[in-house]
Amino acid sequence: MKALILNGEKDNKASLNKYSKIIIKELENRDYEVNTVILYEEKIADCIGCFGCWIKKPGICVIDDYAHKIATMFINSDLIIYLTPVVFGGYSYQLKKALDRMIPLISPFFIKVDGEIHHKPRYKEYPSILGIGVMSEFEKEQVELFNDLIKRNSINLHSPNYASEVFVKNKDIDHIQQGINNLLNRVSDKNE
Amino acid sequence: MNNTRKVILLIGSPRGVYSTSSVLGNYILKKLEEQNFKTEVLHIHSQLKSQSKREQLLDKIENVDLILLAFPLYVDTLPAPVIRTFELIAENISEKQQERTQKLIAIVNCGFPEASHNRYALATCEQFALETGMQWIGGLSLGMGGAISGKSLDKLGGMVTNVKKSLDLVSESIIKDEKISEKAIEYMAKPLLPSKWLYTFMGSISWRIQALKNKAYSKLNDTPFI
Ligand SMILES: Cc1cc2nc3c(=O)[nH]c(=O)nc-3n(C[C@H](O)[C@H](O)[C@H](O)COP(=O)(O)O)c2cc1C
Repeated sequence: MKALILNGEKDNKASLNKYSKIIIKELENRDYEVNTVILYEEKIADCIGCFGCWIKKPGICVIDDYAHKIATMFINSDLIIYLTPVVFGGYSYQLKKALDRMIPLISPFFIKVDGEIHHKPRYKEYPSILGIGVMSEFEKEQVELFNDLIKRNSINLHSPNYASEVFVKNKDIDHIQQGINNLLNRVSDKNE
Repeated sequence: MNNTRKVILLIGSPRGVYSTSSVLGNYILKKLEEQNFKTEVLHIHSQLKSQSKREQLLDKIENVDLILLAFPLYVDTLPAPVIRTFELIAENISEKQQERTQKLIAIVNCGFPEASHNRYALATCEQFALETGMQWIGGLSLGMGGAISGKSLDKLGGMVTNVKKSLDLVSESIIKDEKISEKAIEYMAKPLLPSKWLYTFMGSISWRIQALKNKAYSKLNDTPFI
């Protein structure tokens, strides 16, 4: 099985390093082949909202940069980890710049999911999503918002499963490790 | 009338003047200009391109009374450049440790028919206001946004009656220095077209026509990455 970690670290302060290391270790223990992208290191342009990925080169963004590589790894993975500082209840710019460029992976056409309109899948299978947010102090509204966002993304992306959790910074390694283990159990329950 | 209030419209759509965000925001701005508000429009995408432009953006935001933020829903939340703007404003504030006086209104439009897709994006804007000490005046949410795409509301007839009612109410609230009313929120959230089926049917035809024009029709369902 393949996993892709999208590390949405804001800059090179390496504050998510600790989490990334634990996630990689736990995934490898479970026999995942792991790819990691530290997003701020890669040149990824912002989506220009042209829908060229649906009507000009269906399935491929018209901007040719590292986002292509991510899209290829993304759709060929079983599990994607969104690792990000929690920014007002959502993702960091670094993570979001990549996610906005993933819409070539779905179809422009529509489908109803639980009475609500979404886009049809383009591919037969999509990865599950694991959201790992990090914040310096626990704030209930933002934590709930982050969990909701992961759930919403999993619907739009036709993910077979999702799980998420927000970690408060400076907890000890054992605590983080246990949390990540629980998350991986949750997200792989339905995968198997 | 002597009015010294300053309003900045931040457009968070990369489609600039062809966007729904621009049409909705500029409609309110025009009403405010009639009341002698000092107004300005900035397009976030171009404004983030260089350090000097980013500084200019932050300076302007420091000096306004009201920020009107209009953006499209991208992947269930704010487009990346709007998040970047929030991050920059928050960093700027923590550096300066100033007292905030700005007010914030957000207008989100999305491509799916249900306005409710936008609720988490609005909640994020509210959290941003809370964290940065801005005053949250409220948020509007529109579904079926693709039906406007840069077209003037005055030319779209009955389809946008509720949108205009909402924006008129919001303009009045701003002028009176009040919060956005529930009525304005309700009007904006009403569907532009009578049925979801009709909207998605028309949407699908539009994708097909555009793909035909680009000689990509036969590739519409391609799966290039596997
Ligand atoms: C990258 C990207 C992601 C999008 N994600 C969503 C989404 O999650 N939900 C939705 O309803 N519409 C989504 N849309 C559609 C836009 O919200 C819609 O086209 C909107 O009307 C554009 O507004 P604008 O003209 O102000 O840019 C997305 C569009 C793009 C380009």
